[in-house]
Amino acid sequence: MSIDLIGFILVAAATLVLSVMMVLSKEIVHSALYFAGLLIGIALIFFLLNAVYVGIIQILIYVGAVVVLILFGIMLTRRDILLG
Amino acid sequence: MLNYLYSIPNTIATAILSVLHINLPQLNYLLTWVIASIVLIVVVMVNVIILIYVERKLLGRFMDRRGPFVVGPAGFFQNFADAFKFLVKEMILPENADSLGFNSTLVIIVASSLLIMTVVPQAPNFFFTDPELSLLLAFAIFAIEPFAVVIAGWASNNKYSLLGGFRSTAQMMSYEVPMLITVVSVVVLAGSFNFRDIVNFQAGHVWFVVPLIIGFIVFLISIVAEIERIPFDTPDAEAELVHGWMTEYAGIKFALFQLTSYVRSFAGAAIMVLIFLGGWTGPFLPPVAWFYIKVYAVFVLFVWMRASLPRVRIDQILNLGWRSLLPLSLVNILIAALLRISGVL
Repeated sequence: MSIDLIGFILVAAATLVLSVMMVLSKEIVHSALYFAGLLIGIALIFFLLNAVYVGIIQILIYVGAVVVLILFGIMLTRRDILLG
Repeated sequence: MLNYLYSIPNTIATAILSVLHINLPQLNYLLTWVIASIVLIVVVMVNVIILIYVERKLLGRFMDRRGPFVVGPAGFFQNFADAFKFLVKEMILPENADSLGFNSTLVIIVASSLLIMTVVPQAPNFFFTDPELSLLLAFAIFAIEPFAVVIAGWASNNKYSLLGGFRSTAQMMSYEVPMLITVVSVVVLAGSFNFRDIVNFQAGHVWFVVPLIIGFIVFLISIVAEIERIPFDTPDAEAELVHGWMTEYAGIKFALFQLTSYVRSFAGAAIMVLIFLGGWTGPFLPPVAWFYIKVYAVFVLFVWMRASLPRVRIDQILNLGWRSLLPLSLVNILIAALLRISGVL
């Protein structure tokens, strides 16, 4: 097996596990955390496919901006200290 | 060209494997990169220790006192004494804190900050990796941290931590856009996303600080906001929010966050030197020496700003980012495009 194939199997398995955990997680902020890991995993798959630009933009836009905005939204909804 | 950060670990790895009579190219490759990573971490950490010492000494001088001077020669080992003190403190997980978010963000923040240094070359023959899009990759990795900061602030289950995390997000939304547009103006002039190409272009023509002086000022303000140093350290404002999103972290975890903030300062100064101040080019001295002279000069500028400027309020940061820095960065990209199509550069 080549190093590329081993890398792809590891990254793909981690991405799958993270996506399942994202759906099954009870705590919605944990879902966001797994979601960010999942997006980084997809970026790594892009890197393995030699699509470096797409992978970098994936990290920059999704992890850097979209997930943060999602978090900003969901944190204003529910947590003990916010209920007062 | 010979890359010391690859060739020396490769020699060591080959020697180790030949002593053990193992002939596996993949294992050799893996071992080489592990040793190279350790060498890079040591280089970065030594720089961080020196940066902290420089900052404490200079801050002391700015405040009309002497800074650390008891432990070691001229107080140089004060950092080690402080690190040891952090090491023996108890690590507290607050009650009702979310342990997954609380602990995983530590890993994400430390790892992503160290990862920036892998794409930042320090000399033509001293770099870890040299991808074609290294400039863009450095900013992509820079952008991971605010996300982890929000989760850390939420997971601590503390009002001040949560406010610090929110402030980090608001601050990121104000500086990220002007900073990336400024970076694009550099890319327009150099015609490449690669740090080494950008530095070579500046060596052949002129340092980009001369034609893009507006962009340099915008980038200086944005990078200080990015590394969250004092004029823009609203996420951990001591006077308002205890210590912001880091409030609940105790002992060695807090020490790691402090170290990480200096790693980010080092990376920010290095990126500024590479894209605006001509990188490692300069007369007489070897490239690495010029690189570090410039990086430390930029860091001294950061310390000077920290010592002399008051903290900016969070609503003022948003106004500054969207009303002042964004138009200025657009003017800057216009200048870059005009220089490019008129054929001056």
